[in-house]
Amino acid sequence: MQEATRELYWNIPSHWFMYVLFVGVVVCFAIFFYRRYRLWKLGAPEELSDHKSERFFGAFKEVFTQKRVVRKKSSGIMHLFIFWGMLFLLVATTLVALQDHFGIPILYGDFYLYFISLGIDLAGLVCIVGVIIALVRRAAKINSNLETNTADIVWLALLLVILLSGFATEGLRIVGTNDPWAIWSPVGYVFALMFSGMSPEALSLTHQIIWWGHLVLAFAFLAFFTYSKMAHVLFIPGNYYYRSLKPAGTLEPIDFEDEELETMGVRTLEEYTWKDLLDAQACIKCGRCQENCPAYLSGKELSPMRFIQNMAAQNLERGKILLKVPEDARTEEQQTLLEEGVVGTVISEEALWQCTTCRSCSEECPARVVHPEKDIKARTYQVCMESAFPPEAQQTFRNLETNGNPWGIGWQKRTEWTKDLDVPTIEENPNAEYLYWPGCSGAYDARSRKVSTAFVQLMKQAGVDFAILGNAEKCCGDSARRLGNEYVYYMLAQENIETLKQAGVKKIVTQCPHCLQALSVDYPQMGGNFEVLHHSELLAQLIAEGKLKAGSCEYAQVTYHDSCYLGRYHGQYDAPRNVLKQGAGAQLVEMERNESKSFCCGAGGGHMWLEEPQGTKINDMRAEQALQTKADALVTACPFCLTMLTDGVAAHDSQMPVKDLAEVLAEAQFE
Amino acid sequence: MKIAVCVKQTIDTEAVITLDADGQVVTDGAALIIDPYAEFAVEKAVQLKEANGGEVVVVTVGTQDDVPAIRHALSMGADRAILIEDANIDTTNPLAKARILAAVLEAEQPDIIMGGYKSGDTGQAQTLPRVAAIMGIPQVGWITGLELEGETALVDHELDDGVERVSVALPALFTAQQGLAEPRYPTVRDIMQSKKKPIDTKDLAAIGIDPSLVGPAAAQVVVKSYALKPEREGGRIVEGDVPDAVAETAGLLASEAKVL
Repeated sequence: MQEATRELYWNIPSHWFMYVLFVGVVVCFAIFFYRRYRLWKLGAPEELSDHKSERFFGAFKEVFTQKRVVRKKSSGIMHLFIFWGMLFLLVATTLVALQDHFGIPILYGDFYLYFISLGIDLAGLVCIVGVIIALVRRAAKINSNLETNTADIVWLALLLVILLSGFATEGLRIVGTNDPWAIWSPVGYVFALMFSGMSPEALSLTHQIIWWGHLVLAFAFLAFFTYSKMAHVLFIPGNYYYRSLKPAGTLEPIDFEDEELETMGVRTLEEYTWKDLLDAQACIKCGRCQENCPAYLSGKELSPMRFIQNMAAQNLERGKILLKVPEDARTEEQQTLLEEGVVGTVISEEALWQCTTCRSCSEECPARVVHPEKDIKARTYQVCMESAFPPEAQQTFRNLETNGNPWGIGWQKRTEWTKDLDVPTIEENPNAEYLYWPGCSGAYDARSRKVSTAFVQLMKQAGVDFAILGNAEKCCGDSARRLGNEYVYYMLAQENIETLKQAGVKKIVTQCPHCLQALSVDYPQMGGNFEVLHHSELLAQLIAEGKLKAGSCEYAQVTYHDSCYLGRYHGQYDAPRNVLKQGAGAQLVEMERNESKSFCCGAGGGHMWLEEPQGTKINDMRAEQALQTKADALVTACPFCLTMLTDGVAAHDSQMPVKDLAEVLAEAQFE
Repeated sequence: MKIAVCVKQTIDTEAVITLDADGQVVTDGAALIIDPYAEFAVEKAVQLKEANGGEVVVVTVGTQDDVPAIRHALSMGADRAILIEDANIDTTNPLAKARILAAVLEAEQPDIIMGGYKSGDTGQAQTLPRVAAIMGIPQVGWITGLELEGETALVDHELDDGVERVSVALPALFTAQQGLAEPRYPTVRDIMQSKKKPIDTKDLAAIGIDPSLVGPAAAQVVVKSYALKPEREGGRIVEGDVPDAVAETAGLLASEAKVL
């Protein structure tokens, strides 16, 4: 029997003409791509050309596994179908071109039968299924977070027509050549059945029309895709490649010693970096950022998706002037437009202050868009340059400046909580292994002092050698920094780093995840390099080492609320759960939104110190989610969460106790 | 329009006050702030300047240690400052300070002189009224509002049971009560720029005052000793049936607390 293959470009004698068209396609593609490139290049510089192989392989893995896309099962699988289907079709088309153009014999034998015939047919089918699911999802409005406009439908319909016309040409070729291996192309074979009764002339003509139609549509797709949101095919892998390799939540430091310093934060769009603008171009408005956004879900104005989409729209709008109209030829109207800042155009003043920096948007984003830092950059300008911020924050700022704590309680009162406990200061125990950092809440807040007390008891029980800074400790500056007050943060951080260095501190244990973030991620930018861990991590370690025995707490079942800054920022989901399960002998019952999908308590990003005038109270929503578990206690590992959830539970008239895991563990150990 | 604001630096109202072996208030390490009442005055002065043009001058009697409070006023929008520093000045004596301020202000000739009606720490409420007396200009104390109409100021003077609107010809002196203006939060740009604004430090010789007029010997009032506020003692809970408990409480209020 003859070796399996097929005639390439059957019935298309002048197929060379497609190469002429292809040149046009490449030109269009390049023009539109270059136009986009120029837009994001309007952004400020940002150095991301380091670690090339790490960047490449990381991006490669994320693209081909579609890891971030399939995080959400439903739409993820749909996208997986289209992605892998398209990829196979692209490979097949390339192989055909190679054989035809360079005469490399590829499409023969088993490879032809299994891969080119059967494999590619199935790939096309999978792709069609994916596109149909996508169309139905949009048409039936299955997901309310998914905005659909005409262009979305047109692009999907175009893809579907390209795919169907591809199968139609295959079916016509099967009939026309009486293909002996037709059965290896099952989908094409089904199409062939439809054309089986046609006269040879009609068949030839139909084939030529559909073949050229398929080609023109596919080329149109290629020519124009960098003009539309389909450009995500290139931009998202690009965004993966240029991802930040720094710890989550890293903010660019401002050097206040710099005499040349003229502005801080972001006022106009182009003060965002090119990567920020690339983020905006990579956004395909899938709406996943909104699906766990506390501000959006509680009925506030902020939508992380709108924010990023507005950035892209403004980038285009302003780009038209910046790139095309020379400076001296701009009209007054154009000048005014360019003068406008991002607050008011990209994000409203209200929405700017609604972000709790919980990071759920970035965690969920399949394109790796980073949202909260963009919000904070604009806040930094508003606070440092305009003094425009919610009025209630002013007292907090002044309190931080004067007394180094957000409540403004006298700084000499910081150690009052240790009055009835024997807690050594670093002067008294200069060689302590751990510097315990209770933070402002742990030191001043009546409720959190109980947590500090429990944690101190546990450390003593386990024989941990520790000391505190005492009255020399100041607020870590997290709230100030995330409220945009980089200056107050800078002053606090500078003093703390100096104090810690002078005391010769190497290891620090915090009980507040916000202190953890500031000390471990923010301070190294200013020369403060310490090994920092969270109390949940130290406690889990002490339990694992047998220094704390397994106890049993009074609650049969507890539910654990993941703090955003311990979870999404530091990736620590296991240590607190181990403390509760192994140390306190509690059974865990999870809330629907847990671990990386945890729902914010509403206090992050300085919201602990702000009012919440719009929408539902975020802490009420989270408390309700906890109450639904019917657990005997709600446990957390963050003083802000503790306060917010205590209030939230009380608002539901529930008696569910809200505790820090150190308290639950201490009760299990000592009672 | 030139406005002079007299500014003092005080210990933060939340600070823990301690006394040293000599019975003096320990200021080392205490959180120091611009006096809150002076801050209201600075804010109002800056608002008036922003609305009408002119200049705001900060005047302080003290030492280099008071510069942070002066810088704060400058970062809020004051244009320049004068600091009178001299070892011979008894800064605890309001009369001495009033004499010095009056001498500086005579030379400056401002249209409006402002300051806090009292300071947040010693709270004597003496200095500024004395300045007005020495200079022979009108003064209105405890003001919660100030509007300008040409060469006349319309000010709201707080009374025990209301507010009195007073019309005063300038130049005049006003002392601020809480409510006059909500102090702004300076931007970092303002803070940076404040470091470039001039602080003119002068000694007694430069303003032509005889040290004997402002030294400890000139004091007419002497503080003999300071005592800390007694620790708050726990309240008393009266138990029993409501009618009995109420009767007993009323009895205690009359016999022990002597408030009824």
